Amino acid sequence: MTTTATEGPSQDGPAGSRGRPGPGRGGPRPGASPGTPPGAALAVLPGVLRSALAWTDAHRADFTLPDDVLEPHTQVNATLKPLGELAQLGSTIRRTTDPGAPEHELAGDLVAYAWEQVAGGELLLELLRGEPFAAYPYEIYAAFAGYGLRHEGFEALARPLTATRAWAHTEQHANRQLGLVNSERRVGAVTHTDAGAVLSRTWLGGLSEPWMFEGPSGYALTHTVFHLTDWGRMPDRVPERIDGYLRTWLPAWADGCLESGQWDLTGELLAVAASLPGPAPAALLDAVWPVLADVQHPTGCVPETGMPVEDPAPDPYPFIDCYHSTLVTAFAAALSLRSLRSPGQTDGSAPGRERRTA
Amino acid sequence: MDQTHASSPLAGAVHDLATEVVLALRSGDHLATVCGAAGIDEENRTGIAAARVIGADLLLPSVLYGRHPHPGDVAVLDRAVREFPPKPDAPAATAWSHWHMISTLQRIAPPPPGAAAPAVYAEPDAAWLEGAPWQAFTHQLSVLAPLAVPAAPSAVRRAATNRAVDLSRGFVRAVRRRDWLQAAGAGRWLAAIGGEPATLGLERGLDFVELMGGHDPRVTLHVRAARLMAEARAR
Repeated sequence: MTTTATEGPSQDGPAGSRGRPGPGRGGPRPGASPGTPPGAALAVLPGVLRSALAWTDAHRADFTLPDDVLEPHTQVNATLKPLGELAQLGSTIRRTTDPGAPEHELAGDLVAYAWEQVAGGELLLELLRGEPFAAYPYEIYAAFAGYGLRHEGFEALARPLTATRAWAHTEQHANRQLGLVNSERRVGAVTHTDAGAVLSRTWLGGLSEPWMFEGPSGYALTHTVFHLTDWGRMPDRVPERIDGYLRTWLPAWADGCLESGQWDLTGELLAVAASLPGPAPAALLDAVWPVLADVQHPTGCVPETGMPVEDPAPDPYPFIDCYHSTLVTAFAAALSLRSLRSPGQTDGSAPGRERRTA
Repeated sequence: MDQTHASSPLAGAVHDLATEVVLALRSGDHLATVCGAAGIDEENRTGIAAARVIGADLLLPSVLYGRHPHPGDVAVLDRAVREFPPKPDAPAATAWSHWHMISTLQRIAPPPPGAAAPAVYAEPDAAWLEGAPWQAFTHQLSVLAPLAVPAAPSAVRRAATNRAVDLSRGFVRAVRRRDWLQAAGAGRWLAAIGGEPATLGLERGLDFVELMGGHDPRVTLHVRAARLMAEARAR
């Protein structure tokens, strides 16, 4: 069968082969799937992005924090979590789109709106004072800080806390620990541990058997990449062996997510695909994006899972069941557009060619 | 005939034949007769139809162990070839499996001089495989898993060799869909041709497929065949 133990850096190449085709790897593409016309993703992506952002904009009120947001009885998952995600994904979309483009402006407005909602960081300081030993206030703050929106008082309190042994030994899953490292990087703090060591403990970093992929490992994998690349901003942080692994297996996983109606995870996998260094995995993007575009409601929202609603009336899904998948769709669309259009990757060296298989 | 799990006499006969092939693969006994053990001879119409379903895998123990096949098994396979020629509009996979039955007989059990050989059957076309999306490609290859044997060149094998990564994706997809028979067939191809990405973990994957889907002897047959070929490759 295969010769895992003897494989060099080309763990994801065909077993027995050595050396990874370099950037611009071209040539025949027997590993690509015939069937989807090239350019199918680019044909739908601008509309998908515009529409998902328009839905988000039209639903700002649903992201608004209630007055009792800091009370113990308030559900963080229905208040601060959506707002933090709006800030995180909005800021990535802002950075990924061209200045002057309507999507760029709108994404910036949405981040500014989220910053207003946390009272310019004041509310996050209150949150931290209430739960000083929890990680999530810091993670939400980092979403803003990475974008340049900072609050001195928050950082003054966070600084000694994040320098403790307890902080460095927070017990959590490896992919979440990578998230904390990324938050520290965004805030500009000294990272509490080596990201490479944490990465190797993740499902992805272990180059797990791809047939064992399922929902929980899928989300662990996507978040590993998001934290590693600072939400798609730094594709070059993806090590070569993981890049090859993802290019090889993402098509199989995305296919399964489409088949089982896991639209949210599909969107995250597309964002991962668009966060890889080097040429865009165009065959994958062309195969999957048109399907996700069909699932998107005319108003722009995308359901998290299940059969899409045919009804064209507004608000076909409860906010809580579609806001995340809609934000993820916009985020993945912005990254995919960047990946497919990125200059330097369309120099005739066959962008999107996946590794040769022979 | 053990029809405990069978929905029809034919399904029962297929089950029995596959079970006997698995037993013969396991024992490596060169005297083993697959059809005889399954209670099938040339005069058994249902048995011949089942042999057509199992195809050239009827002689798989001989092929993999490099031994002379049992004359009774050769006779049944020969009968199946003659009784069930593909219709002109038969699916390509049917034509391919018919072709492979004939070429297997010619290769490992050539008729004695003077005896009638099966009619010549041209190698079917495989261009449609080259253009198939990886999902359909894997499905078709899995149906054609009996062609995944050593030293049996064909256009199907060349297509598989050219698309080992696609087949590997198809294996992943089949496992995730709990389609054990397709996964076993795809895994057998990968064991035959090599070239799968090292991260696939084919060996453990095949163990898993056999343990989850081994109630179907056709699954076990493919997995056993894959293991024997992988062991031979490793030598």
